[in-house]
Amino acid sequence: MNPLVLVVIAWLAAACSDPHGIVLWHSYQGDERIALESAAQVWNKAHPDQPLDLVMVPYDAFGDKLSSAIPRGNGPDLFIYPQDRIGDWADSKVIEPIEFWVDDARAERFTPDSFSAMAYRGSLWGLPMAVKSLALYYRSDLMPVAPKTTDEMIAIVPAMKAKHGYALAYANVDLYGHAAWLHGFGGRVMDDAGNLTIATPAAANAMTFAAQLVQTGAAPNDAQAPLVTSLFNEGRAAMVMSGPWFRADIRAGVPWHVAELPIISATGKPAAPFRTAEALLMSARAKDKDAAFAVMDFMSGDESAAIRAKRAHQVVPNPAAYDDPEVAKDEALATFRNQLVHTVPLPTSPTMRVVWTPYRTALGEVLAGRAEPGERLLAVEREVKDYIKR
Amino acid sequence: MTRQPKLLTRMFAHLALLVLVAVVLYPVMLVCKKAFEPGRDFALSASPIPHELTLDHFRSLFGSNGEHLFVRQALNSIVIAVATTVVGVFISCTAAYALSRFRFPGRKAGLTTFVVVQMFPATLLIMPLYVVLDKLGLLNSMTGLVLVYSTTAIPFCVWTLKGYFDSLPRELEEAARIDGASPWMIFREIILPLAKPGLAVTGLFSFMTAWNEFILASTFMTNESHYTLPVLIQSSVGQFSTQYGVFAAGAIVTSVPVMAVFYVLQKYLVGGLTAGAVKG
Amino acid sequence: MSGLLQRQLRDFAVAAGLAVVIASVAFVAARNHDVIDRQLALAERSVAALAADGEVLPTVHGALIGPAISSPKHPELRHRNLRDHGAWRLLAGGDPLHPDDKLFYDAAAHFDREHQPFVELLRDGSGRAMAATAHGSGPAAETAVAITEPASPAGYPLLVMIGVLGLGGALSAAGALVGGRGARVGAFVGAFAGIAVLAIPALLWQSWFAALVIVVVAGVTAMLQRAGLTNKLAHGLVRDRVAVSFLAPAGLSMLALVAAPFLLGIGLGFYDHHQGTWSFVGLHNFIEILSGNGRALDDPLNFWFILGVTVLWTMCNVLLHVTIGVALALLLSRKWLRGKGIFRMLLILPWAIPNYITALMWHGMFDGQYGAVNSILHGLGMDGVSWFTSWTAAFSANVITNTWLGFPFMMVVALGALETIPKELYEAAAVDGATPWQRFRHITLPHLRPALGPAVALGSIWTFNMFNVIFLVSGGKPGDSTNILVTDAYRWAFERGDRYGMAAAYGTIIFLILLLWNVFVARIVRSKGDDDS
Repeated sequence: MNPLVLVVIAWLAAACSDPHGIVLWHSYQGDERIALESAAQVWNKAHPDQPLDLVMVPYDAFGDKLSSAIPRGNGPDLFIYPQDRIGDWADSKVIEPIEFWVDDARAERFTPDSFSAMAYRGSLWGLPMAVKSLALYYRSDLMPVAPKTTDEMIAIVPAMKAKHGYALAYANVDLYGHAAWLHGFGGRVMDDAGNLTIATPAAANAMTFAAQLVQTGAAPNDAQAPLVTSLFNEGRAAMVMSGPWFRADIRAGVPWHVAELPIISATGKPAAPFRTAEALLMSARAKDKDAAFAVMDFMSGDESAAIRAKRAHQVVPNPAAYDDPEVAKDEALATFRNQLVHTVPLPTSPTMRVVWTPYRTALGEVLAGRAEPGERLLAVEREVKDYIKR
Repeated sequence: MTRQPKLLTRMFAHLALLVLVAVVLYPVMLVCKKAFEPGRDFALSASPIPHELTLDHFRSLFGSNGEHLFVRQALNSIVIAVATTVVGVFISCTAAYALSRFRFPGRKAGLTTFVVVQMFPATLLIMPLYVVLDKLGLLNSMTGLVLVYSTTAIPFCVWTLKGYFDSLPRELEEAARIDGASPWMIFREIILPLAKPGLAVTGLFSFMTAWNEFILASTFMTNESHYTLPVLIQSSVGQFSTQYGVFAAGAIVTSVPVMAVFYVLQKYLVGGLTAGAVKG
Repeated sequence: MSGLLQRQLRDFAVAAGLAVVIASVAFVAARNHDVIDRQLALAERSVAALAADGEVLPTVHGALIGPAISSPKHPELRHRNLRDHGAWRLLAGGDPLHPDDKLFYDAAAHFDREHQPFVELLRDGSGRAMAATAHGSGPAAETAVAITEPASPAGYPLLVMIGVLGLGGALSAAGALVGGRGARVGAFVGAFAGIAVLAIPALLWQSWFAALVIVVVAGVTAMLQRAGLTNKLAHGLVRDRVAVSFLAPAGLSMLALVAAPFLLGIGLGFYDHHQGTWSFVGLHNFIEILSGNGRALDDPLNFWFILGVTVLWTMCNVLLHVTIGVALALLLSRKWLRGKGIFRMLLILPWAIPNYITALMWHGMFDGQYGAVNSILHGLGMDGVSWFTSWTAAFSANVITNTWLGFPFMMVVALGALETIPKELYEAAAVDGATPWQRFRHITLPHLRPALGPAVALGSIWTFNMFNVIFLVSGGKPGDSTNILVTDAYRWAFERGDRYGMAAAYGTIIFLILLLWNVFVARIVRSKGDDDS
């Protein structure tokens, strides 16, 4: 009988402590999570009658959990998620338009680019919390000076090859990593009106360039984040193209710096990765929308931004946060900020979500030398059109 | 079985087993290595020996969200898994006994139904299950999860237990019935003790179904204090980077209880029928 | 006579219970529909009145919203002004005078976007309706918006149901009491009429379908009763009540938590999900999948190609799992083996560690350049294999991983089964001079079969639907060709625009394939004279 009694007691002890107040879902870990919680604590101290409850949800399940919970009236009041699903969710009435509460003064708080990323079909859907893009990390012991052009980048290939290493390691099979070259060669996934421009000569050139990087041994084939990290840490890659999150993965003792991405020698244009903004969004089924907006306002405000920039090295879209001396000192942060000038916003159209997988398959084939870019890009465009048609 | 095979054969068998165990253990050792080595990336060497030991990852696992939250989540996992085992085995053994011993119309159909419903891929049932649990008000509650896990485990448990019950001779039950025992008493006093290996297998299976399950737990629970250990482990997988050290540490922490349960159940798996009981 | 009456009333009670449930469902649906219709109509009327400068009912919130003034710097930020009973005020957040301000704002924004009048139910689950139309024209045109209050739905008509039930019961009883030559006809008519009467409320609630279903239930019940089947079923239940009570817990929980989602899942296959709305498309999803999406047979996105890969995958895995598992179980149950306990514990590890972790680990191990597998191969003097660039290699990588994950399960099942074999059988066989192979075939195998049978049957179903390994190890590479059916279905749900309807249809097709396969196998097994009961 005893074990059963224990189980029952444990069960009763595990009574529901359902959160009250405003519930915010996020998928931050490590430093970002600590920073977010510090910001939340500041709010809670000032507003004990309107507590803010943070719930960490694993990233894998995040989007789908939201899509199933919110339409049924469950789910959070607010949540943080990259802006690329805004279009999807706006159309499905999962999120609430917020331009009702936002005036020019509030809008001025953010950089114009990050703010306009929150817009879709003439309404405003969220407030930006952080901006992410790729930049060039390099080891000063292997590459004393950051390369300005891709030719300079490739120049150290023989030296690295002698050490059984690569010049540049990056997640090349994913469109997100490849986008820097795509845009640098003048290609785009879709134009401003939302029409697909996947199969273009510029895109094919970009793919050929990426394939050449692999074939000449400048970059490893089919590298994913863990491999990229390991290569950099073990000195087998002189450079890595990655985002602000990468610095937490670098081993202690590795002499690293960040520089802006180089200019593509073939076109003279800078390599331009995607710019994604992490948005704070309001659920369409939030119970007290005014209170929820008050929290949104604070969490995306300058005070919270400064906390997050300091603790988690987030590239926050609030220019005022950079006045903070500690934040101003952060070199890497400053470089990422400068890189933002040469970035292309990630389209918020629902079509974008369908592009990733076919493009990844195509990149895999082309980079492995098993297919030609032109025909694969046509296949990708056809596949995407198939899926969005219905 | 009465004669021992030659020494050479025996040595060969032991050696083969050792090699197999090494092959089986190798990935496990890599996980251990990742858990005890500092650093967040995949080291590039194939050696399973960590070059430096640290408990940092375990510390982050326990402490990152506040110690008592980890304990709470571990407790959730334990409670849910134990409850699933109890409920699942109970539901299954009564059903299996009925299917084995009683003759009634629709018996064969009942048996196949248990198997048939397994055929719809579980990954696609998440949405409908979510809707059903929502309507029953069982979202974000451990009861809901236990019920779902138990029903997932039922088909296998029912079939296995039926097999075991089938292999038990009926003389014992007939004797007891003549003596005037009720079906329930026969079931509880005579059949159950004899079916220990079957119960052990189904118990282990139910426990593991519940213990390692991640997708349903993370979809249905919306409160961090209701998360289970697999959800906690999955939290170390971020959008762009994964904390592999914490991930591996979590894997080890999650696997140890299963090993413990198996160790405890081993003697039932091995015990089996004694000659005396069979002869009756 | 009283036996007949008893039978009539018993059958009536059961069938009427069912009919009441159906009628109630019809009532709820009708009521909801009714409320929605009334709300929408009210909103529409009110907004028309507003547009004509008339008055609205006090329970309706109406207002005129001025045109949007965009901020020059931020085009998505717009001011609007609201005129409520003559007074203008700014519509903006901060300190709203009325909680509906935001709704008015959003309504006006919606009207601007769509450029036409609309009426819809509010999406916040409150049951309120909102309508908007133009007021005036030209650049200073305003938008008239009306929002209704939530309506209270009509109560359940308990009296009506009780009355009808009473009437039905009386009719049934009357039918049973008809004596003499009309007895059988009387009973039949009574049974039928008694239940059919319950269709009347359904008709009142304008649900022809429910009424039809009730009449069908009535007819079926009457016919079953006439054929004596209802008696048979009732007596059977009473006779087997022990069995029923033993089966009840499993049956009930399976019904609620397996049957219901299952039926729901199948039903969803007939709809298409697009941006949050579901639309009925009948067999369209199924046709599309089964026709291979209009692609060639060797295109990895063609259903039949994926089916082939899945079947091959299942067969390879089950074969390996059973062979290795049984072989190990046999080895581990030898008396002369030392360290059995430890070996057993260690060999169960692959099953103990959560499979999404080990699948990721194996994925890393199969890395073409830095993976552990290739390092070991190099160490043994062989060339490394590029695991994910050829179909054979990627497929093998998946099989190796899944075998590693799956053999402990078969081993444990076989171990348990081996323990039930009485030792005397082997001794007797040895005395009779049987060879080890003969001992295996005639003693071990028959004892293994009852336990391995379900394990293999279920194991093959699980392997057929094994998502984690394929998704995490090869991820479908090269070029989607190592996908199995269940990963392709997943992609429909989550990577191709949330097409849950397609994924559900896919799931139904997978289910039917497995069902047909098992029926086929069962037939063969039965024809071999092998009966598992």
